[in-house]
Amino acid sequence: MNVAPRYLGRGSWLARRDPRVLILAIALYVFAVVQVWDGRLMAVLAVIAFLYYRTAGIPIRAVRFQWAYVLIFVGFIVTTNTIITGGELRGIDPRSVHTYFHLPLFGTPVSAESMSYAITQLLRFLSMAALGFPIAFAIGPSDIGPAFARLHVPDRFAYAIDLTFRFIPSLASEMRTTIDAQRIRGYDYERAGRGPLGRIRRTVPVLVPVTINAIVGAEDTIDAMDLRCFGTGHRTWLRELAMDRTDRALLAGFALLFLVVTVLAFNGASNLWVFPFLIPG
Amino acid sequence: MSTMGMSRSGLWEVSSRVIVYAAIGAALYAISAQFSFLIPGTASVSVRPGFAFVTFFGFAFGPIAGLFTGLVGNALADQISGWGLLTSWNWSLAAGVVGLLAGLAPSFLKSWMGTPSRMLAAAAVGSAVAVIVGYLIVISDIVLGTAENLNVVFADNYGPVVVSNVITVVILTPILLAAWQPIKEQMGR
Repeated sequence: MNVAPRYLGRGSWLARRDPRVLILAIALYVFAVVQVWDGRLMAVLAVIAFLYYRTAGIPIRAVRFQWAYVLIFVGFIVTTNTIITGGELRGIDPRSVHTYFHLPLFGTPVSAESMSYAITQLLRFLSMAALGFPIAFAIGPSDIGPAFARLHVPDRFAYAIDLTFRFIPSLASEMRTTIDAQRIRGYDYERAGRGPLGRIRRTVPVLVPVTINAIVGAEDTIDAMDLRCFGTGHRTWLRELAMDRTDRALLAGFALLFLVVTVLAFNGASNLWVFPFLIPG
Repeated sequence: MSTMGMSRSGLWEVSSRVIVYAAIGAALYAISAQFSFLIPGTASVSVRPGFAFVTFFGFAFGPIAGLFTGLVGNALADQISGWGLLTSWNWSLAAGVVGLLAGLAPSFLKSWMGTPSRMLAAAAVGSAVAVIVGYLIVISDIVLGTAENLNVVFADNYGPVVVSNVITVVILTPILLAAWQPIKEQMGR
């Protein structure tokens, strides 16, 4: 498993944007779409999300496992939501639903309304993931710290975020080395049997040495920071971030989107809309 | 440095040591996502052994380190999987609160943790309580539209996650703490 940050969108239109725009864009988008249950508006928002995603220039081959994970995860959430709610949907009178059939065992009615709910929720999650991918793959790893600092996250926390990104490749490599070393001694995490408790216990020979080595090794980093008087004054960053006209326009576009969706939500877009082609007869 | 020897006001100090330990905790939590597995016979109960880092870093290095490990570690694990850094921000916040509560546990259980075995028991109990209380934040899924009602939240989100994480932290947090204690004393922390 490759856990090191991958800058797949390098050079793309979106990667050339100020990283703060990408972070604020998803925040505005998420708060906009959670208000929407009208499938028509959700479809429009999904189109906007996927157009935005395309500008990140992320090769689909490089992220097909991540998309597969998202599809499985979203599919699972949508399915369980539909089953567990037992066909009860907010704002819909249970007596007026257009039922197709009842699920065996659960007795949950599958109706035009529950299908519309599932489609709208599916579009919502996929579009949210589409906006999340550019943060993962179209922001230079070294820009994350300065981006959060310029978003008024306290300097020390912004630096901790930056430090986390720096630690990931080295700790992942150390974990691989430890797994290999333990395998030579007969360790096999994938070995079947002994149930979930056994599997948790089987992580101990890897997690404990990696954790203790990382903590002990951190002393050098702490000393280096202390010797450079870390935290005694305002921190400056080597990477200067500045928004250009395009960045501001993009950000204004997402702010406008949020406002428009909020107004529409107060005027009915927060109610479930049933797709006409799903209504039988 | 350890919360076991801290005064309550010292718990909130953000020193370079806290920052580095917090960053290590978050990075370890994110990369240990590869050890996640489903409990046989269930469709949604996934056990993440790496979650023990949240409670361990909280318990051993304080609430700030725990909060950061949970909050940023969970967001990064989501990012690595492709789900997105902020898509499930309320779940990251819940993991952060678990770390924060685990970090507060030693100062509340201080008088009771006289012997090493009692300290390990306190770590297990404190971590379990932190998970049960901290994950109540995922009730916000109803407002965010991820869950339709409380039934879904408890049957599909909160319940499975709390069960699997309590099992994980009760086993692994004391083990990590037991491994760290002698090293800590050797280092004079």
